[in-house]
Amino acid sequence: MRRPSIPHLGGARALVLHRAHADGAAVLRQLAAIGLSAEAAWPDLPADATVADFVFFDPDMACDEQMPWAPGEAPMPLIALIGTEAPGRVEWALRQRADAHLVKPVGNAGIYSALLIARQKFEERKALYREIDSLRGQVAERRTVVQAVLRLTERGQTEAEAFALLRRLAMDGQTLETAAARLLNDSGGGAHERSGRP
Amino acid sequence: MFSQGGDYDLLSQASREGALKGIATVNADPARRIAFAPVERNPEGRAESYGALCAEILRSSDARHVIGCTTSSSRKEVIPTLERHDGMLWYAAPYEGFEANEHVVYLHACPNQHIVPLLHYVLPRYGADAFLLGSNYVWGWELNRVARDIVGEWNGRVLGERYLPLGDTDISHIIAEIRATRPSFVLNNLIGQSSYAFLKAYAALGREGPAFLPENCPVLSCDLMESELAALDGGGEGNLVIGPYFAEPGGNGPASSMEAAAHASVLVLAELIEHAGTDDPASLAKLLGSRSFRTPLGPILIDPQNQHAHMPVLIGRIEGDRFRPVWKSGATLAPDPYLSRHDARLSPARPSLKVIS
Repeated sequence: MRRPSIPHLGGARALVLHRAHADGAAVLRQLAAIGLSAEAAWPDLPADATVADFVFFDPDMACDEQMPWAPGEAPMPLIALIGTEAPGRVEWALRQRADAHLVKPVGNAGIYSALLIARQKFEERKALYREIDSLRGQVAERRTVVQAVLRLTERGQTEAEAFALLRRLAMDGQTLETAAARLLNDSGGGAHERSGRP
Repeated sequence: MFSQGGDYDLLSQASREGALKGIATVNADPARRIAFAPVERNPEGRAESYGALCAEILRSSDARHVIGCTTSSSRKEVIPTLERHDGMLWYAAPYEGFEANEHVVYLHACPNQHIVPLLHYVLPRYGADAFLLGSNYVWGWELNRVARDIVGEWNGRVLGERYLPLGDTDISHIIAEIRATRPSFVLNNLIGQSSYAFLKAYAALGREGPAFLPENCPVLSCDLMESELAALDGGGEGNLVIGPYFAEPGGNGPASSMEAAAHASVLVLAELIEHAGTDDPASLAKLLGSRSFRTPLGPILIDPQNQHAHMPVLIGRIEGDRFRPVWKSGATLAPDPYLSRHDARLSPARPSLKVIS
């Protein structure tokens, strides 16, 4: 497990998607005090927004078109600056998948913890998505594993022996699924030879 | 607004002394066009009194600037009042960082100016196995968390971490644990009476065996002042401290860094008011970064973004009634209150091989 460490935010770049207003200015001031490089943007995010480390946005005024990514797929932690608590606006912020929020008017407090909370939530979500992708892959390949085990049992091995063999093959860093696919591939020709066909 | 009486009386009295001397210096300076009339309140060491007393100052007088507070708990009590009444706090005590309020100017050391350089001095010389102590509030918690991280960066172990309520002086169980775990150093974030009781008991432990003598296993303190040494009955001898200023024995300068920093606060405030032609806190804040200020801490700059001071850093050994410097920073250190620029990869002793888990 990773040891918690002093959060390293120095030099991180934050964009504040907010019209010129005291709330945007308060966020910029505090980000600079913490040690981030922060820029205001309105109405459009700059062309290199996708490589920013954090984006603060204003659900009161902003719309999907301002974000250069599909709703919910921002490649960095998002922090919503919530003024209007109308459910439609909160829902829109949630659809963007805000990882943290601040309630306006924004003061001197709250921004540092929002950065830390947003970053952790974002990283957790990314890790979960990676795990889900890998599990999906495994589920999709289940049929391959079953076929490989069947192939081996046809050759007289027990089911336990067949699984043990696949696991051994998988030991050089491959997944069980890849090992099974390779076994089917390799043994495909052999089966033909034994059947005596050209 | 400094406490007279209470658990950290010696610290707050040192600050009060510095503020009053600063006011006297300004008022006696014929080159100054302004003079200060102090409005004083005494919170008596009770954190919950600070907010109300600060409000009283800002409401009942035309003072807009409060020189005051010692503990972080009291500073946090005062901040909402400053925001409501548009006041400015001049906070001249070492603190744990992770704050940068527009209504506060921070004029003593923050973590990159105390705990970080102190550990970077101690770890390569004494070893990396730590025993962490603190009074049970945010100062001790946060400094010990930073220490835990840095000790980890140096592949050391934290052999114990213990907290005492403010004012508690029953430390026999802590001494027993230190005796049993044999750390390379003890980080003392206890304050006031608890700290004095610990240092005295630790000196007694040192007489039992050389493993607990300061030359083998020093106690490190980030907020001990010369004015507290008398309360130790010689118990601190040989242990290590850090601060932006140490008093010259027999000199006429401030008797401690707390006194020097409170004195400095008043001088910086006077300078800014003269320069701005107003005492409006927001107008003064705009000028914080505009000049170098001459203070008893030496010439200092203030970072206009986080409103913390650049500070000299001195590490010293307790010797009789003084701190003898054993290390000094070449120049003043820019403040990094959020340790945003702290990078574990820059730790000098970082091993070239690392276990990846």
